[in-house]
Amino acid sequence: MAGATTRSGMVAALPLLAPAYLWLAVAVFLPLAAMVFFSFMTDLPVAGRTWSFTLSNYETALGGELYRTLLLRSLRLGLEVTAWCLLIGFPAALVLAKRLRGRTREAVFLLVILPFWSNGLVRVFSWAMVLREGGIVDAALEALLPFEVDVDLIYSYPAIVIGLVHSYVPYMVLTCYLTLQAIDDSLIEAARSLGASRLTILRRILVPLSMPGIVAGSVLIFVPVVGSFMEPRLLGGRSGTFLGTVIEDQFVAVFNWPLGAALSFVLLAVVLVVLAVSAPVLRRAT
Amino acid sequence: MTPAARVLALAGPLFLGLLLGFLYLPIAVMALMSFNASPFYTLPIRWSFDWYLAAAGNRQLLDATWNSVSIALASTAISTLLGTMAALALHRHSFRGKRLLQALLFPPIAIPWLITGTAMLVFFFGTGIGRGLHAILLGHVALSIPYVVIVVSARLATFPPDLEEAARSLGASPWQVARRVTLPWIAPGVVAGALFAFAVSFDQFVVSYFLATPGQSTLPVEIYAAIRKGFTPEINAVSTVVIAVSMSLMLLASRHFRFGGER
Amino acid sequence: MPITKPLALAALATALALGVASAAEINVLNWKGYGTDEPWAIEAFEAATGHTVVNDYFNSEQEMLTKLRTNPGLYDVVMINAAFTGQAIDEGLIQPIDASRISNVADLTPEMAGSPLLNRDGKVFGVPWTWGLTSIAVNDKAFETTPDSIEVMWDEAHKGRVTLRDDALEAVQFGAIATGQNINDIQDLEAVKEKLSSLLPQIRAFWSSENDWNQMVASGQIDVGTYWSGSASRARTAFDLPVTFVVPKEGAVGWLDGLSIAAGSKNPDGAHAFIDWMIDPDFYVEWDTKVGAPVSANAKAVAALPEEAFNRVVMGDPVVASRIQFQEPVSDADREAYLQLWQELKVAAP
Repeated sequence: MAGATTRSGMVAALPLLAPAYLWLAVAVFLPLAAMVFFSFMTDLPVAGRTWSFTLSNYETALGGELYRTLLLRSLRLGLEVTAWCLLIGFPAALVLAKRLRGRTREAVFLLVILPFWSNGLVRVFSWAMVLREGGIVDAALEALLPFEVDVDLIYSYPAIVIGLVHSYVPYMVLTCYLTLQAIDDSLIEAARSLGASRLTILRRILVPLSMPGIVAGSVLIFVPVVGSFMEPRLLGGRSGTFLGTVIEDQFVAVFNWPLGAALSFVLLAVVLVVLAVSAPVLRRAT
Repeated sequence: MTPAARVLALAGPLFLGLLLGFLYLPIAVMALMSFNASPFYTLPIRWSFDWYLAAAGNRQLLDATWNSVSIALASTAISTLLGTMAALALHRHSFRGKRLLQALLFPPIAIPWLITGTAMLVFFFGTGIGRGLHAILLGHVALSIPYVVIVVSARLATFPPDLEEAARSLGASPWQVARRVTLPWIAPGVVAGALFAFAVSFDQFVVSYFLATPGQSTLPVEIYAAIRKGFTPEINAVSTVVIAVSMSLMLLASRHFRFGGER
Repeated sequence: MPITKPLALAALATALALGVASAAEINVLNWKGYGTDEPWAIEAFEAATGHTVVNDYFNSEQEMLTKLRTNPGLYDVVMINAAFTGQAIDEGLIQPIDASRISNVADLTPEMAGSPLLNRDGKVFGVPWTWGLTSIAVNDKAFETTPDSIEVMWDEAHKGRVTLRDDALEAVQFGAIATGQNINDIQDLEAVKEKLSSLLPQIRAFWSSENDWNQMVASGQIDVGTYWSGSASRARTAFDLPVTFVVPKEGAVGWLDGLSIAAGSKNPDGAHAFIDWMIDPDFYVEWDTKVGAPVSANAKAVAALPEEAFNRVVMGDPVVASRIQFQEPVSDADREAYLQLWQELKVAAP
């Protein structure tokens, strides 16, 4: 990260960092470390079971045709949802940051975030109501269009994408807004007076300067979507099987935590690799 | 203004309006169905206020709602403070292992909450932390911190590096620099981070589910349990009240505070 | 940090203060909406005995076992599918029950009370509570005459209007019945796979909770699907839905649910009293007629139902009885194999 004002390093940073990371250590890292440990075991150390150390869970997770297909499918879902969120969220943030002013802006800003606070499960159930045959979209189109249409989007891949984009697009609006709002308007004015077109301003000023927000938003969307299981299960019907749902099955349907844990860490590793690979690409794009 | 510019000027707000429509469509459906007598969302609607009466008399649901609000507020306060401090430290200082610390923010987001929740349950059991509201709070804060750090960092990335230096050279004390220069600049990021943190906690059901004990649960846990067997629009009624109250509070607040960082 | 510490401490203190349990509490672990949390029943029990009942829920058998493992001493009564009781005994999660303290035990159907799944070394570890079937149920609006064969699920006429529970074990055992095999000893797993593979194109969506099923019927999205007998009865009784449960000629899967007392229970007296209350005919008749329930393991309770009750007429029919295959414990290896098969099928689904 650029803009370091002091170079005093770890010692100076420690007092500010320690509380957050200690909390994370107790509540997340140590429990997950136990899961890492489990992922190398043949069985769980509960009464009446014998166990030993093994690599076989990772072999299964990495070698199986099934899990590879699912991993690709989950990554594709993550990319698609992120792309849609960017396409919808960035322009919305731009309008919010650069066109609206005063109280209207505050109000709209809050309205974008509020849906977040409604319960995810209730939202998914409401989507089912909206998307199904004879549901709201179907009925509305029937009333508006002169010809016969049958809209039955529920229990399909598009339904999963719609549900996920709905849940995550506020993330993108928020993070893009934060960086777009920080861009000085005089900079845009200056560019315009020098004869730059709208597209040039967008390409050479707005997008590069708001890149930290775009990246943060994309990460906050891509990462959880790849592991999501609730929306695919409830909205996807037959096509609702992803890596997240399969991991859930290992924990819930069969008592195979070792394999479930191994699958989650493979997922985590792949996500980190994707982020590491795309970081320089994004930076170069600016 | 040229006609093209006029069209563009209208297109922006229109687009924003469409987005809001998309965002509020399922919420409107949720609210509508809370007034529908049919428990299965069947149309046409038979109007009824019964679900609200049922919800008002459901002690367990009301207790859980109250728990959710208190835990979300406490979790937001703690995680926003800790997360903002960490973001400042990561922004200001460079040291070995910084990349690792940044990468460590991802596991809580990337690992499905189901696994994190199970891991917490087993670990808290093993260490004697146990289950209950304190464990839920412990978990929620941890899950929210990465969101706060990432959001505040995005805002910090736009911070002009020489601004603090300039203030200092003009004779401002470190405290004055923080209060007058740094905090106002990152304020929108902190507010956004807090809003994220609140959402993470308020809508968190997986982790709460594992850490809740009978009689000490949260609203999403109750909703999840209700959905498994005979889901009733009582849940919609409570959710509608929650949304309506938070919407009024927010709109009221937006008249007095500036979240968006006006410049 | 100076500000966070008091905040966190205050929050922890409140949490601890709220967490104090009272002595006469009975903590019950069960599926939600499954008898033990009926408000009218709890009220009557509390008035009669002075104990208070607190319910906690699980969403899968694995979760139930995990909750028992990680909360020793918290629960008193736990509802366990008999196929899992053996595992709970092995892990020391439940304790022997003193049957002499439960007066209604005398009226239990002898085969169920004596089931080797619930008894070990002459000790009772589970009191049979209810039993029921996993089979198919139809939406009456879609059929002139109620079908009597499992093949209706594969009928082209209902393509895209069929539902199946998203559960590997249930799907495989359903496939076993459709291919004429023993559900507890599946010889030809490949045949099951093929049969299920040809079923998937028929499927509209998988269901995972009663509510999913009832909603899909109420909105007219499905004609037929696998369902549980107790849930079908609840759909008719409590929700007034046009649902008929079918025990097809090919057979149906039977299950037995028992009530056990958790190891380390702090209130064994209350636990025994509560189990007694749960298998009592008075409770059962009210439960089945008001809400809808599976079949009671108490013969006297079933006999006390109205003459035309489904749980008496259909479930008591000797023809139906001859079609039932009761579920036995499934080994971890088989479970894993079934899950693998099920996941592969779903991934390959069109």
